[in-house]
Amino acid sequence: MLFIWSWFISVGIVFVSGALCLYSRIPERYVYIHTRLLLLPAAAALIGWIGAGSGTEVGAWRFDGISWLMAFYISLLSWIIQTFSLRYLHGDRAYRHYFWLLTWTAGAASVIWSSNDLRIMAICWGLPFVGLAALTWLKREWAPSRAAAMQMGIMFLASWLAVAVLAVWIWTVTGKWSMSAALLADQLAEISFWGRIAMNGLLLLAALIPAGQWPFHRWLLESAVTPTPVSAVMHAGLVNAGGLLLARFSPLFNMPAAHEALFIIAFLSILLGTGISFVHVDYKRQLVASTMAQMGVMFVQCALGAYGAAVVHLILHGLFKATLFLQSGSVVPRPERIVRVKGGGSWWGGALIGLAVGMAFWIASPSEPTRLFSALLLGASMMIAWGRLADFREGRWLGLVTVVMLALASEEVRHFLTEFVQAALPSGSAPPSALEWLAFVLFASAAIVTFWIVRHRSSLLFVRFYMWLVHFGEPRLSTVEPHPHYLSIYVKEGASDE
Amino acid sequence: MSKQAISLERPRKQATRKAVSGIERPIAKIVEKASEVIAPLWPISTFIARHPWMELEYLPFSEVAERFQRMPGIHLYPTMASFRAALEKGEIDLSFLERKLHRWLDAQNLSVPRHEAERLCRAFLWNDEVPAEWLASSEWNQLLAATSWRNAVIQPLSAHNSKQKQRLDQQMIKWCKLFLDEGQAAWGLPFRELGLFGAWRQLVGHDPALTKDERQRLFDWPSAPELALQRVLSELNVDEETAVNYLEAHLLALPGWAGMLLWRSKQTGQDTALLVDYLAIRLSLEWTLMAPDLPLDPSMDDDVADDWRQLLVAWLHWGGMTAAKWQQLKAEEQCARLAFADRFWRLERYRLWLEAWEETYEEQLKTTIRSSCSADEQKPAAQFLFCIDVRSEVFRRHLEEAGPFETYGCAGFFGIPIKTRELDSHHTHPSCPAIVQPQQEICEVAAVPESVTDYRRRRNMFRFAGQIFKKVKQNLLASLLLPEMSGSWLGLHTLMRSAAPKKAGHLFRKIEETMEKKPSTALVLERQEKSEASDLPIGFSTEEKIQYVQQLLHSIGLTSSFAPLVIVCGHESATVNNPYASSLDCGACGGAAGAFNARVFAALGNLPEVREGLAQRGIVIPDETVFVAAEHVTTIDELRWIEIPVLSESAQQAFHLVESVLPKVSRNANEERCAKLPSIGKRPNDAVAEVQRRAVDWSEIRPEWGLAGNAAFVIGSRSRTKHCHLDGRVFLHSYDWRQDPTGELLSGIISGPATVGQWINLQYYASTVAPHYYGSGSKTTQTVTSGIGVMQGNASDLLTGLPWQSVAASDQELFHSPLRLLVVIEAPRYYIERLLTEHLPFSQKVKNGWLRLASIDPDSGEWVSWGRSLF
Repeated sequence: MLFIWSWFISVGIVFVSGALCLYSRIPERYVYIHTRLLLLPAAAALIGWIGAGSGTEVGAWRFDGISWLMAFYISLLSWIIQTFSLRYLHGDRAYRHYFWLLTWTAGAASVIWSSNDLRIMAICWGLPFVGLAALTWLKREWAPSRAAAMQMGIMFLASWLAVAVLAVWIWTVTGKWSMSAALLADQLAEISFWGRIAMNGLLLLAALIPAGQWPFHRWLLESAVTPTPVSAVMHAGLVNAGGLLLARFSPLFNMPAAHEALFIIAFLSILLGTGISFVHVDYKRQLVASTMAQMGVMFVQCALGAYGAAVVHLILHGLFKATLFLQSGSVVPRPERIVRVKGGGSWWGGALIGLAVGMAFWIASPSEPTRLFSALLLGASMMIAWGRLADFREGRWLGLVTVVMLALASEEVRHFLTEFVQAALPSGSAPPSALEWLAFVLFASAAIVTFWIVRHRSSLLFVRFYMWLVHFGEPRLSTVEPHPHYLSIYVKEGASDE
Repeated sequence: MSKQAISLERPRKQATRKAVSGIERPIAKIVEKASEVIAPLWPISTFIARHPWMELEYLPFSEVAERFQRMPGIHLYPTMASFRAALEKGEIDLSFLERKLHRWLDAQNLSVPRHEAERLCRAFLWNDEVPAEWLASSEWNQLLAATSWRNAVIQPLSAHNSKQKQRLDQQMIKWCKLFLDEGQAAWGLPFRELGLFGAWRQLVGHDPALTKDERQRLFDWPSAPELALQRVLSELNVDEETAVNYLEAHLLALPGWAGMLLWRSKQTGQDTALLVDYLAIRLSLEWTLMAPDLPLDPSMDDDVADDWRQLLVAWLHWGGMTAAKWQQLKAEEQCARLAFADRFWRLERYRLWLEAWEETYEEQLKTTIRSSCSADEQKPAAQFLFCIDVRSEVFRRHLEEAGPFETYGCAGFFGIPIKTRELDSHHTHPSCPAIVQPQQEICEVAAVPESVTDYRRRRNMFRFAGQIFKKVKQNLLASLLLPEMSGSWLGLHTLMRSAAPKKAGHLFRKIEETMEKKPSTALVLERQEKSEASDLPIGFSTEEKIQYVQQLLHSIGLTSSFAPLVIVCGHESATVNNPYASSLDCGACGGAAGAFNARVFAALGNLPEVREGLAQRGIVIPDETVFVAAEHVTTIDELRWIEIPVLSESAQQAFHLVESVLPKVSRNANEERCAKLPSIGKRPNDAVAEVQRRAVDWSEIRPEWGLAGNAAFVIGSRSRTKHCHLDGRVFLHSYDWRQDPTGELLSGIISGPATVGQWINLQYYASTVAPHYYGSGSKTTQTVTSGIGVMQGNASDLLTGLPWQSVAASDQELFHSPLRLLVVIEAPRYYIERLLTEHLPFSQKVKNGWLRLASIDPDSGEWVSWGRSLF
């Protein structure tokens, strides 16, 4: 109880503090205090996570391991990103607004997963996305930013409506607002077959839109207009909400057909996202496309019933992507450090090693969710790493050992997190293992096809595929402006408007 | 120019017509002429300050301003708001403005009563716009219908259809970025080896961004770019006369990408071949996109009624006319009045303000320099050679205050035009200004050859991990596992950087430095066999060694009374997460650190053969004098030693003295620096800690101001400016006119360092007055593209100049004052006259207002302004 109260109080403090940032009477340096206050909810969530047992219910709220974990993760992210914004956005016209809206967005996102009431869930689902669209809208004097914000607004509204309809629908059928009560098997049994299909459809819609999955990928691909910190919060804290939504509603989201649909969409999105990031050359576009693919991975894991793995993936991907965005100023290649790729070398050696490692993983971890899928990816990674050995002479073994050690340590962290999350999730029914084998075959064939196609660069097939991917990854006209015209208005206006 | 310069036929008729072009001149020549309106753009990793109008200096600045205002609609003068802000800060003396206005009115052949004109002009000078409520009144409409006098500008066909224009721009951005990519994409552009046009020709038929019809129209398109360009020009009925302007307009649509192609083209010895490719694609696409709209309806021309309305209303309100009086005027009188108002309103008022601002600055600089008194004739313990860079001025001033030190300024490559090759690297860097051709290659080798292996092992370990990360990202399956494999480490890194920006930043920098730390190295200065890579001789001949040292010492006037210690200071910046890092490095060293050149120069200066040769030429360097190489880290104002040779006893003493004062010098310089950088809330107390943080904080958007604020270039002895607080706005080049009877040295300084200074100055100028077009937009929404530059948001032109945050303190306040460079030469009058007659490019710059010139008479101290009137 105490933990929960301290968590809510700290969130409240942060909200008030964020609103204070807006007041022009408050001196600008208050933002320093504000960003320090952001550590409060992170600390409260961490203490709650360690201290409170799982499954504490207080009124409309229910705190389990995942709620605490997400509360901690998002609060920490909020602190990281706002601390970054202190210097990074300094001088911006909307400087103070960024802090308020970032606080709003992250704060709302951090409380969703502890709600046990369908009404709260339905409302909270939209709030962070409102914040995100508003953050994009802050640079409204820039036409592409405006267009992107509008697009986001429309898409998010659709997702919000889907959740709202779903919540009301569940209530009308079960007569309960409490999620833990409504999502019990005997309650759900009352829903008709078609009702179930529609509900699963709504869930899919709600989850896929914010993750930018095909065919709702447009808004994500055009979101490169947002300032770097906003991109970071978007990619680390919001696009992945769909995975958690599915995890939370997993008792309802259990129709094989829905899982298959989810798998197909996710698979397509992975291919598209990866393809776009391969052909495009601007860094943020590559990052955005890679997010599309990574969210596909999260949904593949969901489709295979491995919600634990999905939740861990979304957190690790969040940290990964937030860092890459915040670091995006460092990617100008330094000519003296460019590595000359020697190429050559037999890929057979790498393939064998990859196969061996993949097999070893598969045999060694029988309890691992989606172990077939993971083994495939792991084997491929090993193959790539091995192939790079040809590029260097001195120091390569030392390098390989370092990389492997780093990877093993990462694997430990992932393993620990997965165990933990797994324990906190309701054990849903796992879909048939046939789906996993299907996934394995599809991904392996896709990899082989790309491998082949890349070796036939001038073939008509490759050319068509290439041009199509380039086109698919390009933004719409309204979100592009050759020169950022609003700056000429800034210099024209000078300080006159303040 | 006729209003409808491009009368257009029906497409069908065009299709039947053979591609017979009315253009006789070779296409390459036309493109070359058109390319004057853009400037080559260097890749961002070696950011070269260059000004956007370098090929247009044969025209007066005001004329170029007028041209650009008409054609891409870019305003090349600062805005009224900037003038007002400068006025508030006391940077503009209104009496200058007044005088300028009168002089201008006097020079006009007025067809309007003088007092009316003056009243109107004054109103224009003080009002940005005509008040909106005056315009709202509809009674002017009748009067407006009166006349039509302005010539239409030649616009690309696509300017008439904004959607197609957008599509065209996006297409060009796409093709350029894919073609120019330097290894960022896992799958590069197919057929890239065929060149830009060749690849496009192969691929355009498969581009889903074009409709089927559009692709169809390009089906039998010529496969040579010149032919394609010729064909499309004839399809569009552009004749020889307007072809150049037509192509110019197309180049100015995306000057950044075109500039990058121009650079690449020149770099690979193809002149403007890539621009021909670019224009051929652009015009072909324009034609295929616009074909359904042809022929154009002439009435579609954008009307300029709004401007008209403003001018007319201004005459009526400020010029003291009534509607009735206006109607009584003859048509040509009306036109004359409107033309007069138009010119003043669009251009002249800005010019007057700018010149008043510039003259005020000149006046202030004059006063500052006059007030200096240099009485101390103490023998210096050490002499320092610094780069001309404006950031050196602050450091030099504080250094001189701290002890018996003398400082000199010269271009930061120390007159040594070399390509540098660092230890165990396959990359060479032209470490000299962009206007100079490298003459030799200098390699760094390990002092102990065996230590290279150890170095490589350490370095490769680091790079190997990086390479794996990159390659894993570029694999379909492996990339999916990357977050799991690296997420926790990246997260830890982010957490550390957020929790303790300074400590973590220093830690990460330390790790990187340890991994990349070189063993002790030596330079290969002796002439070797020819290098295979760069076609340049490796090392110097004895004569070259002597000559380089002699030339530099001569040009800065350091030929006698050497101190026991001569410190040669290159400079570099220290920032993280900053795509513009190289813009803060030494421009004279090709946008890189200047340490290498400093080291070469110091090493040359210590060679016995060089000393001997110099002595024969009259420069006697005492045996006790030692040259030492150091590096000025501008971001934190620290001086670091690069290489310390064996010191003589007196040099050792001087060295200790320098070391003992350096912390204080840094602190003082840091405090001055901190006062200028914007801070959140009140200024931090500890300036040293603050700049140290800025240097390593990954979230810092303004690590330092770079060369922002630069305004003048003083060529003369340091004693003239010693003790002057020049506020870090002045380039300082040492020069002793007495050692230059032929004027050759001065001419050399003007062609070299002063030109570099002018380019830097105009780059800052352009990025400030047109931040959207010549700057590179806000850093927060930039994305690095193709590894060569940045774009804004989803896609944009390849942005060419400095980011908004490098010239503006905030969205509301500019930091850089856009003033054209004031070159001040300390030399007798006839030196300047000789310079202006002999150095034609320079006199052209002065005459055409690309920089301003003043001189100080060495004896009388008289200040002469060499304005346009003196020609």
